[in-house]
Amino acid sequence: MTLLEERPAQPPEESAGTLMEIVPGPRPAGLVKYITSTDHKQIGLNYIVTGLIGFVVAGAMALGMRTQLIVPDNHFVTQNVFNELFTIHGTIMLFVFAGPFAFAGFGNYFVPLMIGAPDMAFPRFNNLSYWLYLGGFTLLLAGFLTNNGAAQFGWFGYAPLTEAIRSPGPGADLWLVGIGLTGFSGIFSAVNIITTIFTLRAPGMVMFRMPIFVWNILVTMFLVLLAFPVLTSAFALLWIDRHLNGHFFDYNHGGQPILWQNLFWFFGHPEVYIIALPYFGIVTEVLATMCRKPVFGYKGMIGATLSIGALSMGVWAHHMYTTGAVLLPFFAAMSLLISVPTGIKFFNWIGTMWRGTIVINTPLLFCVGFLLQFLFGGITGVILAQPVLDFQLHNTYFVVAHFHYVIMGLVFGGLAGLYYWYPKMTGRMFNENWGRVSFVLLLVGFNLTFFPQHDLGLRGMPRRIETYNSGAGWTFLNELSSIGSYITGLGVVVTVANLFQSFRKGAVAGDNPWDAQTLEWACSSPPPDHNFEALPPVRSERPVWDANHPDMLTKVGH
Amino acid sequence: MDRLIRLPAGTNWGSPNGVTRQDHWATLLWGISGWFALPIGVIVIGLIAWALVRYRYRPDRPRIPAQFQYHIPIEAAYTIIPLAIVAVLFGFMFNAENKQGVVAAHPAVAIEVQGFQWGWRFVYPNGHVQVGTADYNDINDNNGLPVLVLPSDETVQLHVVSLDVVHTFYVKDFLFNRDLIPGIDNKFDINVKQPGLYPGQCNNICGQYHAYMRFYVQVLSPTDYASWYANQPACSVTTAGGPNDAPAVCDSTIQGLNPQT
Repeated sequence: MTLLEERPAQPPEESAGTLMEIVPGPRPAGLVKYITSTDHKQIGLNYIVTGLIGFVVAGAMALGMRTQLIVPDNHFVTQNVFNELFTIHGTIMLFVFAGPFAFAGFGNYFVPLMIGAPDMAFPRFNNLSYWLYLGGFTLLLAGFLTNNGAAQFGWFGYAPLTEAIRSPGPGADLWLVGIGLTGFSGIFSAVNIITTIFTLRAPGMVMFRMPIFVWNILVTMFLVLLAFPVLTSAFALLWIDRHLNGHFFDYNHGGQPILWQNLFWFFGHPEVYIIALPYFGIVTEVLATMCRKPVFGYKGMIGATLSIGALSMGVWAHHMYTTGAVLLPFFAAMSLLISVPTGIKFFNWIGTMWRGTIVINTPLLFCVGFLLQFLFGGITGVILAQPVLDFQLHNTYFVVAHFHYVIMGLVFGGLAGLYYWYPKMTGRMFNENWGRVSFVLLLVGFNLTFFPQHDLGLRGMPRRIETYNSGAGWTFLNELSSIGSYITGLGVVVTVANLFQSFRKGAVAGDNPWDAQTLEWACSSPPPDHNFEALPPVRSERPVWDANHPDMLTKVGH
Repeated sequence: MDRLIRLPAGTNWGSPNGVTRQDHWATLLWGISGWFALPIGVIVIGLIAWALVRYRYRPDRPRIPAQFQYHIPIEAAYTIIPLAIVAVLFGFMFNAENKQGVVAAHPAVAIEVQGFQWGWRFVYPNGHVQVGTADYNDINDNNGLPVLVLPSDETVQLHVVSLDVVHTFYVKDFLFNRDLIPGIDNKFDINVKQPGLYPGQCNNICGQYHAYMRFYVQVLSPTDYASWYANQPACSVTTAGGPNDAPAVCDSTIQGLNPQT
């Protein structure tokens, strides 16, 4: 408040009819804006940039691991450093990058714009979410500075390895608190975004006219509300075990280590869909725009999203088939069923392309990359959903390959969104040629990294091993995988360089460079404070298209 | 015919073929899943590629295509057909899982497998213990690895127990994993068809030397096994790659929970 009071009070300009600022005086800029802004667009950008930094940092850790594994009996890093690398790599990728990048980054930036709102429902609460998230990210990295190193037990930290006696030192505590803070941040974002969607929609924007991206974010946020408190509670129990002589997970004193696995995966599997659904939404929007058609099967798409959300709460124990302590047929049936709504989404995406006019550019290419990789990850997922096959593949590199295909598929979706919305967020176009180069590098590098890992898993290589026997027969495939990871790294460098360079030198984009369909393209690029000076009438799920193509109105309903 | 069902792609991609009487259920499910997954994958990738090529922007395409959004018969088809496929797949899976998971009431041999940071103890019915810890300096040193000795062609029941954190018993040629979790009693049967030496490894992160927690399964013919077993005095301890240095008396706290002792 002092900041505001110290400003000289200026009378508002006497221009009647134009938009007046509520607070007179100069607007904060630069660092002050970054720290204090409650504007959803600034906070969204904060999340997006922080998330990308997390992606680059955790990606560098992955390159360290791949370098260690490039030949058997290697000594590039020690056992403990290797364990720290894969633990923090997984934690940052999931809790700092993959989830918040989409649901908090793109969610913050585009949900209010897409429903025609001036800001989020709770702008200052929104700012708090970001700072909790940044604090969590910092604590996760700070573990490397402690004398025992960062956490070393994998991102799902199975008890009792996480008890104080087996993982002493502050590294594990920083991991606990870091994830706890990102968890609170997620819960706060969820409350905020759900309230925004329910209360701040523009006139005419009924629920069944919201873009698919907004629908997916809404379902994601409900999953966050159901899953994250369980995780945070489990972490509180573990904290009590470590510091207050609790025995929740200590078998020798009546605790149950398996309880941790149930609590963790009760969060952990919805988390997979918390990550995935926003990217599904992004891909849907990009495909519809680039094919110049409405989303095919709009209502079926929403139904698929809702059923994925519902089913995802009942599949957690498919991570625990080999514990011998779960009801296998139930979780197998639920896990197989979830492939059906996901399949519906795939066919809806293909239906959107069907008889369209497909503009092939960088965002569309990344969507295609998403489709191919997520399809492959989905098919290996159907294999892993069957307990008898999981008994063979559990915790091998086959699983590593499976979920990297899923999540890197989503990353391709995220990059599609980043390139698609880049003109809206910065006001400038990215460099199309370098965008395509980055696509080719990432596609080739990624597939070369992870396709051989399926085969490594079938040949029996367990995940999270720091080195392997020279006679195990895994050397050639590991070499391929490591070379692929370096190509992926190069692709990331090209992407980041393109984004930086275009920010300074890119062509001015204009309000609606893609001839897009949804409301975020109705305001200027980048949007002004409080977003809209005037809204087009909302009579279907694509008001901007209807305004620009009055001869081709979207039919409402079937 | 059997080969055709099990290998839709004509190859098993380097996966072991399996050596136990339980693992044919896994290879059967691989085949059935493959017969569904391969055509679906080819069809979906084909549709994506066809749409991209056929409908890409070019001068003879309309700049603005027809703005249709729904096609109920097609949408119904791609909802109902996948449901049917999943139901069929679940049926095969349910049957296989029931058959594979049978635990015999009276196995020919029952052995307790104990995992600890970082090594294995194999406790036999007469109290004999095979134990070994990893050589943490050299991943290529196979001499110190503990050896689990089993008879072939017999139903062997393994009771897997953790002495500290979560470990996983994993032998790639058995196509099988089972976790060792404090507080969970896990038993499973295996029946290995051929004698041989099979490498195994802990498959769940268990601390600093997780990668070094390897072992061998030495499968002997039933007669060889009988003579080997007769030569192991009750409550003796064989330490892999080293002299006997463990207690020579049966100690129930160390022997664990083996019901046969």
